[in-house]
Amino acid sequence: MNSETVSALINIFPWIIPECVLGFFACVLFLGGTWRTNRHLWGAVALGGLFAAAVAQLLTPLPSFQTKEAAWAALFAGPVWLDRMAVLLKMVTILGGGVLVLFSWDEVSDEHAAEYHGCLLPLVAGTCFPASANDLVTLFLALELISIPTYILLYLVRTDDAGKEAAVKYFLLSVFSSALLLFGFSYLYGLSGTTNLQGIADALSPRDRVDEALPGMALVAVVMVVAGLGFKITAVPFHFYAPDVYQGTSTGAAALLAFIPKLAGFVALIRLLGLMPFELPDIDRRPLLASQVSTLLWIIAAVTMTLGNVLALLQDNVKRLLAYSSVAHAGYMLIGLSVAPYLIVRTVPGGLSTVGTDAVLFYLVSYGAMTIGAFAVLEYLSTRDRPVETVDDLAGLSKSHPGVALLMALFMFSLIGLPATAGFIGKFLLFVGAFSVPSSPGAETVLSDPPNLFRLLALIGVLNAAIGGWYYLRIIAVMYLRTPLQPLAKPRVSPRLVAVWICAAVTLLFGLYPRPLVDRSQAAVVNKVEVAPGPKAMSNAPD
Amino acid sequence: MDFQLSTYYPIFLFVILIVGLAVSILIAAHVIGPRRKTPVKEMPYESGMDPIGSAKQRFDIKFYLIAILFLVFDVELLFLYPWAVSGYELFKGEAERLQTPIFWELLVFLVTLAVAYLYAWRRGVFKWR
Repeated sequence: MNSETVSALINIFPWIIPECVLGFFACVLFLGGTWRTNRHLWGAVALGGLFAAAVAQLLTPLPSFQTKEAAWAALFAGPVWLDRMAVLLKMVTILGGGVLVLFSWDEVSDEHAAEYHGCLLPLVAGTCFPASANDLVTLFLALELISIPTYILLYLVRTDDAGKEAAVKYFLLSVFSSALLLFGFSYLYGLSGTTNLQGIADALSPRDRVDEALPGMALVAVVMVVAGLGFKITAVPFHFYAPDVYQGTSTGAAALLAFIPKLAGFVALIRLLGLMPFELPDIDRRPLLASQVSTLLWIIAAVTMTLGNVLALLQDNVKRLLAYSSVAHAGYMLIGLSVAPYLIVRTVPGGLSTVGTDAVLFYLVSYGAMTIGAFAVLEYLSTRDRPVETVDDLAGLSKSHPGVALLMALFMFSLIGLPATAGFIGKFLLFVGAFSVPSSPGAETVLSDPPNLFRLLALIGVLNAAIGGWYYLRIIAVMYLRTPLQPLAKPRVSPRLVAVWICAAVTLLFGLYPRPLVDRSQAAVVNKVEVAPGPKAMSNAPD
Repeated sequence: MDFQLSTYYPIFLFVILIVGLAVSILIAAHVIGPRRKTPVKEMPYESGMDPIGSAKQRFDIKFYLIAILFLVFDVELLFLYPWAVSGYELFKGEAERLQTPIFWELLVFLVTLAVAYLYAWRRGVFKWR
């Protein structure tokens, strides 16, 4: 081990401080919960933990290296890596975690509050990790850190038959998907001889030719990895647990399932398949199995959004409807991943030119805000005697709760993708990505371009957005045009309303002024190392 | 490194010792142990269950809790052995700088386990009710 590698291994510790802070607060919650049972106290402690983690993250500077060797050692030996994407995803996750804490503030009982939030914090820590994982082992550990607390959460909040079914279904299928993922990882390791993600990308991306000469085993590995992560992002054909689980569990847990695993799954896909433009000196790299991956994701994207939207048309239960809608949105986001292999070799993201992955990051944030918001409205309106389950339960909401109905309409408009909402900008960027793949082969490209396939994909996406409009508008129509069958109870002011407001603010803000988030996601997807040789570095630079 | 049989002598000694100990204990139990035959004692031993009958029995939930706790500490040992063996021996030269972080990492791990243990204790896992 040379001195650069040792330094690289020691220097990673500051990068995981936010996760450690979250872990510490989780320990406090679990232990403290055995002495005191009070949901307000433990909710506040959980929020404090998230705040401390956010502060720790803000105080951590991006790595900058004195020499190229030091940068290489950190990149190729470190299990963890901190770049702009990691920072962006960590902040988004921590904010999302805060919203989820507020969301389930009154939903959990006093008795279970400490354990619920105690599970939520490691889950948030686990979602921070895939963004900064630089090693197959770290990545798998991160995904398990998300899965295991989720099993407990699902069982903690509801123990009736539907809740048990949801918990067991999720547990068994999640374990199955982890096995698929590990199978793929073992092939990746066998092919490249390293568990380091950069090392794998280097070993599996031939410099001069792109698509040939890789054994079929690489394809098996990629298919298995996509299948394993497909469960997390509810891509068809791994979507079928979603409606049952969302319906069976509590609204807060359903919102969590709709957001957190998707975030982690998409980020893990971006990292694993190397769908980021590369700006490292001396390294010329192509995405893994570019054209095959792109075709695979193309098919999954088309099927996922179509099936999700069509099945959502048939639903009467709002939670099932939102579950199928989350399947459909995973399909939209897969468009961005599918075009990425073609775009990242020729485009630098910036302005209106997207590489697909940055559009996915933007969409993930806006999708999170609008979906959690919609679930939070349902939870806010529900009372123990009068749960809001079916679309009919929302009838006449505009008369009994005009403000809440307006917010719900905002979330629905954003889910459709109407202008002035974040959902519009997200869909717009994704479709721009699909249209930027040139249909005629360019001189500078290595991949042979597909004949108009991606325009077709964008067309399928637009058609799907129109289909989606039907069932989202149905909710709005029911709220505004019908009279209530049975008036809803007057809800109390509670932290849940704060969660709704935060989601609404994010949806509107990034709909009207998307620039900051667009810039950040575009900066985030470029894989870049800062090497700034100072005077000290010159003296001990190896020759 | 060349193969040398003498390297493995301690292992052979170890194997002989283990087999010898096991056999001598068996013989000693046979020779000096008292024999009071009861139907229960004549049964094949199966961890406290009736060996004959349906295998589909209900178990008390406390057994699962104990099993999980056992697993936690078992895995802990698995993790501590490699640390004890190679945490200091193998890290020579430049890599010696890694020893301090490794030591603290292990401490953090042990503290986390202690927290889990305390949690189980406070929740009354050891009360056997």
